[in-house]
Amino acid sequence: MEGKIIVITSGKGGVGKTTATSSIGAALAMQGKRVAVIDMDIGLRNLDVIMGLENRIVFNIVDVVNNRCKISQAAIKDRRIDNLFLIPASQSDNKDVLTTKGVQRVAKELKKEFDYIIMDSPAGIERGFENSVVSADEAIVVCTPDVSAVRDADRVIGLLYSKSIKPKLLVNRIEPARVARGEMLSHEDVLEVLSIELAGLVPMDEYVLTSSNMGLPLVLQKESKAGQAFIRIAKRLNGETDLPIEVPTHKTRMWNTISKKFGFTK
Amino acid sequence: MLSKLLKRFTSQNKKNSKNDAKRRLQFALVYDKLEINDSTLKDLQNDIIQVISRYFEIDRDALSLEIQRDDDASALVFNTPILNMKRK
Repeated sequence: MEGKIIVITSGKGGVGKTTATSSIGAALAMQGKRVAVIDMDIGLRNLDVIMGLENRIVFNIVDVVNNRCKISQAAIKDRRIDNLFLIPASQSDNKDVLTTKGVQRVAKELKKEFDYIIMDSPAGIERGFENSVVSADEAIVVCTPDVSAVRDADRVIGLLYSKSIKPKLLVNRIEPARVARGEMLSHEDVLEVLSIELAGLVPMDEYVLTSSNMGLPLVLQKESKAGQAFIRIAKRLNGETDLPIEVPTHKTRMWNTISKKFGFTK
Repeated sequence: MLSKLLKRFTSQNKKNSKNDAKRRLQFALVYDKLEINDSTLKDLQNDIIQVISRYFEIDRDALSLEIQRDDDASALVFNTPILNMKRK
């Protein structure tokens, strides 16, 4: 069976595309799929350093598209998670070096070799975005609950629709306590503004920064709420469509003590 | 005392600021799509008021302009209570 290309995109930068790409990719691989994550941010690569693979780069996606190497030569195997491969971006090239035609050709080959290909799109809606979505079967739009990210998400959703891709939304960095206080848009608010199907909800989580500090996969951190949320998102993508979307909750300290006493929490 | 008052004031501003965010976003998306601005919308609102006022007595203070979004389209919804029919 042919693999599936999922693009992770957002419009606005800094909302967590790269974290989402590496985490969803890793989670899918842990579920037994053969996965390639591809950094499409030519000139500003980051997926490699988030995944802790920056010291093993030989070839990159530009080399693959321009026939300077084979896919197998550019794909770096993750040693902690089986079946997970990274194809990094080039750091030296101009971001206009790739053509949609070239990407489409490589995408076809990738689909033969992997079950899932996750493309980490650059911020913006220019060439790099076009290259990332040109071969996509599915799209996940990432946004945070703030006005600029939601507005940019709307723009990108419109662009994806115009390319006949029906995207799903991932709301990242939800702070349940602030949502409860009415200081932060809830995911319902965001959905009301955007009217789009949800891919999942990810809470604000300190582990995201600390895992990236060490180049460790977030999904291997059992304590990480964000990591667990990404695992659930990956499961839903991977066919477990009945798995309910978990809404990040805010528990007061008192509730924590009570629930521990009565064994409500695991 | 003054700082307390100030604190209270600012925290009240912060509280439910998400409602502002939501309302501003909904309008921003309409402005973006139609490439119009606030004053166009205001003019439209005033025109509508004028037209309705020819036939009905309306409560101008209770007027509301909202955006309702469906799957494939968003609608500007103009809502006004009608107080009385106007006699011609």
